[in-house]
Amino acid sequence: MYHNSSVFKDENKLDINYVPPRLLHRKFQLNLLNQFFRFAIENPGKMTQRVLITGDVGTGKTVLSQHFGLEIAREAKKRGINLNYVHVNCRECKGSLFMILQRAILNFHPHFPKRGYSAEELLQTLMQILDEQNAYLILVIDELEALIQIGGSDPLYKLTRIQEDRLKAPQRFSLICILREPKYLDNLDHSTRSTLQRNIIHLEEYSTSQLQDILKDRVDLAFKYGTISTSTLHFIAELASSEGGDARYGIELLWRAGKYADASGLSEVSPECVRKAAVDVYPVIRKSVIFSLSFHEKLFLLGITRYFKHSEAAYLSMGAAEDAYEVVCEEYDEKKRGHTQLWKYVKKLSALGIIRTELSSVGQRGKTTYISLPGVPASDLEQELTKNLSTKKRRSNPHAN
Amino acid sequence: MPIEDIFSSKGRVRILRILVEIEELNISEIARRAGLNYTTTNQHLQALENAGLVRHKRFGRIRIFRFNEEDSRGKLIKKLIENWETNK
Repeated sequence: MYHNSSVFKDENKLDINYVPPRLLHRKFQLNLLNQFFRFAIENPGKMTQRVLITGDVGTGKTVLSQHFGLEIAREAKKRGINLNYVHVNCRECKGSLFMILQRAILNFHPHFPKRGYSAEELLQTLMQILDEQNAYLILVIDELEALIQIGGSDPLYKLTRIQEDRLKAPQRFSLICILREPKYLDNLDHSTRSTLQRNIIHLEEYSTSQLQDILKDRVDLAFKYGTISTSTLHFIAELASSEGGDARYGIELLWRAGKYADASGLSEVSPECVRKAAVDVYPVIRKSVIFSLSFHEKLFLLGITRYFKHSEAAYLSMGAAEDAYEVVCEEYDEKKRGHTQLWKYVKKLSALGIIRTELSSVGQRGKTTYISLPGVPASDLEQELTKNLSTKKRRSNPHAN
Repeated sequence: MPIEDIFSSKGRVRILRILVEIEELNISEIARRAGLNYTTTNQHLQALENAGLVRHKRFGRIRIFRFNEEDSRGKLIKKLIENWETNK
């Protein structure tokens, strides 16, 4: 059934990548960030800055940084300063310094070759470009966990020390790191940690009333007037608050509830739509995360979820995970990937927080990795993956039944 | 370089067209897009550079080529190609 009318005015305003024009309840942190980077506008080239933003999921880390980036780039342009703000998500870059630097360079040279050199060469190239164009760069490394998990201290050490080789040259390269759990910093060596920990902005979880303000703002932008009542909004804010003050969760809930209202032909989003939506949205694992996985990563994860669905066990050994994956491959008529590749998948899925890994304890013969699924019910995850995989299968093979 | 040497070579004209469209590229990518091999592309680019029509910038081991807009002939040829492409 298809309805012409919709409760949405512009659902893109609920997109995960949308930066709203107003940043609510983060004024102080935004001012702090502006203070840290005042030199970039007033005395460009005289110094550089490193700032660390920490906070739980959905506390506004990314949007705070992007807001700041838009503002400072605008101000710099007014003053004729070539200041560039580049926001890179480590997870999308698979925790690779090479890809992070490449994104930064593509900002200046969109057709720069994509391979054929090392990360070190790329870093030197980036500095050369900045010098030649008399440009300044604020590089934002979002989801720093992925970079630390894959590269350890090394990449961050290189990034924080690049200016030190160029004492007399203008200082052009500043860094903002965004991190969910500060405990990851323990994996860094002492010197890198100390350079990063000088300026920390910590974002507390939003309270219910703050969440309500934020959601109200988005409702005004995305929904038609009068389609969401104050009490429904409050209900969503409370749900998001109980999920650890997660604004992103609240926004996703809004969108999904709107979709349910549309599907049911309602002219208003009812609390029942919200309840239905709440069942569908996982607080820990986002649909976008699953969507970003490669086909075989999804198959591998599907194998794991099926194992947990039919088993009482809390852990699954790497060997058993491979067996489960093999069965899924057979089902999807796919050639299975080798052990090394699967090992990489395990590392990636664990970096994304979808699975948790643990080494087998001492005293047991040999060494294996144990996999567990925290947070999300295996059956829900399986359902989501199967749905996702079937659309993919249909798309790649339109004649399949 | 006499003008006929530039326009009589399909490869050179193709390279010039690519540089008009993409603005700046490395040799391998120019070669790929032009359907030429690396050595031939390199030779053509050198000839075009000697004629002052293109120039390159070096980033470590990588050379990025672009049209030399400071050269009046380079500018004119770029304009000619742009015009040709838009009025197909």
